[in-house]
Amino acid sequence: MAHQAHAYHMVDPSPWPLTGAIAALLMTSGLAVWFHFHSTTLMILGTILLLLTMFQWWRDVVREGTFQGHHTPPVQKGLRYGMILFITSEVFFFLGFFWAFYHSSLAPTPELGGCWPPTGITTLDPFEVPLLNTAVLLASGVTVTWAHHSIMEGERKQAIQSLALTIALGFYFTFLQAMEYYEAPFTIADGVYGSTFFVATGFHGLHVIIGSMFLAVCLLRQIHFHFTSEHHFGFEAAAWYWHFVDVVWLFLYISIYWWGS
Amino acid sequence: MYYRLNAVTQRLTGAPATVYNPQGLRPGVPSVRPPPVFVSPTKLASEAGSQVEYLGANRVPDLQKVFQRSDGVPVHLKRGLIDKLLYRTTMGLTVGGALYCLVALYIAAQPRNK
Repeated sequence: MAHQAHAYHMVDPSPWPLTGAIAALLMTSGLAVWFHFHSTTLMILGTILLLLTMFQWWRDVVREGTFQGHHTPPVQKGLRYGMILFITSEVFFFLGFFWAFYHSSLAPTPELGGCWPPTGITTLDPFEVPLLNTAVLLASGVTVTWAHHSIMEGERKQAIQSLALTIALGFYFTFLQAMEYYEAPFTIADGVYGSTFFVATGFHGLHVIIGSMFLAVCLLRQIHFHFTSEHHFGFEAAAWYWHFVDVVWLFLYISIYWWGS
Repeated sequence: MYYRLNAVTQRLTGAPATVYNPQGLRPGVPSVRPPPVFVSPTKLASEAGSQVEYLGANRVPDLQKVFQRSDGVPVHLKRGLIDKLLYRTTMGLTVGGALYCLVALYIAAQPRNK
């Protein structure tokens, strides 16, 4: 068998980029078909294809790293750069929504009553559930750091427990936020206040769910002995993403919930 | 007498400093001595008072053997039948979906009769 004379990873041919691209085509055209012809078939088909692609592609990455040993130090460095660049792109994504919020709230138009919050909007009390949400996410940042140190020190049971606790806190945040959405005295259709509030916090909530799923996969991998005390980049990537989600919430809380109330 | 298998050295070690102590029960309480039990703890025998097998045994070395077989099979099919079934389902949905999408877009592009 021929062995490579370099430390880099020449991947096997894979069908998942194609299936992922087709999934994107189906989801977007499906969205248009739903809007104009009231049929969700194409969009749902696209979503199923997307889920299948994500599962198999990331399953293959785990196989290549953990079972085939392809994730040498230079390869891991590339993965680190990749995750950092991805999180940076997400930062810019949220920056856009913060721009929109400050554009409308720093110079409120006469249509809003010339004030912020606009006339007729009953804002949420920032010192009730939003403050609890802040505490929950900050605590989850502590538990994920505890999990990291447990992995590095080879403490299997503690790593599993602290990681499970982090995920539980993430679900608790999502549950509390869902309750707030249900009980809120304003909707997304209530002018620019409603738009900026629900789009910014809504995308944040979606990222909390994504982060929780990422951490849940790491929990499964930790249970199955995939991580070693020296090599556990999948977990580190999940922890970076989780800290990013936490920081976005802090900005949301300070800007929209507190200053904007 | 409680024997433990050291998974690293593959040796049995007998009579550790503390007696077999499941669930963190207090040692030294007089109890019926169990017959010799051969179990595989995930922690080394040197760690006294630890639980055995927390949430399953380590199967990574076996999986490493499976995935490092030099049979020329790409990684997305390496596990055999289950991989093939999942791949074929995904590819089926991909090709079928793409065709369905093209038909739907063709229909959507038709002018609507008033």
